Amino acid sequence: MLEIKNLHAKVDGEDIAILKGVNLKVNAGEIHAIMGPNGSGKSTLSKVVSGHPEYEVTEGEILFNGEDITEMDADERAHLGLFLAFQYPVEVPGITNRTLLREAFNTIARANDREELDPLEFEDYIESKLEVIDMKDEFLNRSINTGFSGGEKKKNEIFQMAVLNPVLSFLDETDSGLDIDALKVVSDGVNKIASADNAIVMITHYQRLLNYIKPHFVHVMMNGKIIKSGDIALAEALEANGYDQYEKELAVDGEA
Amino acid sequence: MSEVAQKETMLSFIDGEIISNAKTVAIKAINVRGQVALEETPFPTRKDEDWRFIDMSAIKKNKFSSVNDSNAAKIGDISKHFLPEALNTRLVFVNGIYNEELSSISELPHHVIVGNMTEFGDHDAVKEHLGNITNFEDDVFAPFNDAAFEDAAFIYLPEETSVDAPIHILNLFTDAENAFYATPRLLFVGEMYSKATIIEEHIGLADNVYLNVPVTEFRLFTGAHVHHARIQRDSKSAIHVSRPIAMLDRNAEYHSYTICLGAKLFRNDPRVIQNDAEVDFTVDGLVLIDGDQIADTHSILDHRFPHGNSHQLHKVVVNDNAHSIFNGKIFVAKDAQKIDSFQENRNLLLSDNGTVHTKPQLEIFADDVRCSHGATIGHLNNDEVFYLHSRGLTEQKSRELLVYAFALESVESMEVKSVEKLLLNEVIKYTTRD
Repeated sequence: MLEIKNLHAKVDGEDIAILKGVNLKVNAGEIHAIMGPNGSGKSTLSKVVSGHPEYEVTEGEILFNGEDITEMDADERAHLGLFLAFQYPVEVPGITNRTLLREAFNTIARANDREELDPLEFEDYIESKLEVIDMKDEFLNRSINTGFSGGEKKKNEIFQMAVLNPVLSFLDETDSGLDIDALKVVSDGVNKIASADNAIVMITHYQRLLNYIKPHFVHVMMNGKIIKSGDIALAEALEANGYDQYEKELAVDGEA
Repeated sequence: MSEVAQKETMLSFIDGEIISNAKTVAIKAINVRGQVALEETPFPTRKDEDWRFIDMSAIKKNKFSSVNDSNAAKIGDISKHFLPEALNTRLVFVNGIYNEELSSISELPHHVIVGNMTEFGDHDAVKEHLGNITNFEDDVFAPFNDAAFEDAAFIYLPEETSVDAPIHILNLFTDAENAFYATPRLLFVGEMYSKATIIEEHIGLADNVYLNVPVTEFRLFTGAHVHHARIQRDSKSAIHVSRPIAMLDRNAEYHSYTICLGAKLFRNDPRVIQNDAEVDFTVDGLVLIDGDQIADTHSILDHRFPHGNSHQLHKVVVNDNAHSIFNGKIFVAKDAQKIDSFQENRNLLLSDNGTVHTKPQLEIFADDVRCSHGATIGHLNNDEVFYLHSRGLTEQKSRELLVYAFALESVESMEVKSVEKLLLNEVIKYTTRD
């Protein structure tokens, strides 16, 4: 489904490389976790994949179902079924959740030659998605993330994911700032959405989230590269020993 | 040289003399008063503090003349401008001249007056209040209206009466052969505990050059409540200089919303005067301009007595080379304690060449008041744009939605549904022009 080959990227207009040759392959039905210390480039990876204009790819490519999407605009990537759950969901005063989601849902439907939903049909559809994250419908009338608590913002990302039904989702530190109850609700929602037809890549600093959403693959990212891949045992080892051993290895390689 | 220049008056810029055609004694008296003031008052230049950022010399260049009325008959079907809520509470003025055929007044409570002032010129309220609160030092535009107006909208509400339907004052401007001036006039007198909603509209039917100088006077007595929406959709070549003034007695409430969409040059000087304790008023504005439009609002919230609440939200969106100016004065007199006044000016710049000037000006002489103000100028937030963009909306659509959301707040306070809809459409038209 997703194939990232030797991806190098930097902040547009600056000279410092942040991604320095990322390779990653994700297939349908898989859940991946990318772990790494602060500044390792894992959040940047999710932004580059979703098409954030702040970053420039300097080398390598991103293939999505065989198609090269490296230079595509963010909306076109969304039309193909890519979704980014933001680490810091943006407050947008004056536009309600409902307005955004109807506009986004129908735009994506149009791009894929599917029928748009009229307001009444759409209403039934989103109502049915509210239960995924245990939300009341008044939530739909509120301006996007405006005045939301940290937990509500993260829930809203997963709610949007449920409504837009993406093929591939990047969840950027979706666990950060969540208390235990909210974490359960959010991971419950993600587990409900996960299926054999879609794939999820979780970006996280801690192993905590992985207790609730079980990944098939765990990757360690450091210094702009994925330096080790494995299964859940890798995450457990990280939790026990921290990132130090990898930092030392990198130092020996002369890269740190 | 400069002395001669200083003595230039509005009269010397007008083609021909201003001739009073007043049909009543009360109007005649104001016409004469205006003429005298015009002769004595120099026309403002950019050296005057209040006119620093707006160049009114276009008035001089155009040599506006009184309206050549012959076109008024040929304006065609304008029924799309009628409000469904105000089908029988509508006054229409074409180029400032009352048009009886297009007007429709039938559903009024007993003793309420909505009509052309010339027919009610001897009414006590006209004799007593016409021109009373529009008399400002050094001003030439209210006197210009004073001198030149002949017809006028007159609204009178006796004690304890309320008009449920909104009263629609529709000012239309036609594609006349000459560059003309028009002086629409509105006098509203609300006696104790009366209540009404006024929709004052200015619509240019073509894209011609004309000068529109309206004056509105709102005199609200004890407990009178008024909503006043002003929608300026003049021709994009027109010059519009407004003087909307309100004076409030105890427990009166006056809520005004000015929407500026048209005119090449728009100058608006709203002023609300607190004439007794315990009043509540709003002076909101929404300005959507592009091209080479200039919109300048100089407002005065004049608290002269204690216990007054005032609120002002002035929102501006500027595109292309447009230029917005906001100068918001709040006066609080020495004994006007316990005033609660809030002013906010928010500006959204959509282009690199747009200009915004904003200046709050608080002059407070009482010591126990709460007055706050704020001004922001910014571009659309890139994080917000990307957030919407990443959800599948095109970048253009994301931007449109954000501008729409910015403007929406002012439009939502409209109490008349069809006006709200009309304004939403105007906002959409503005944001989706590309």
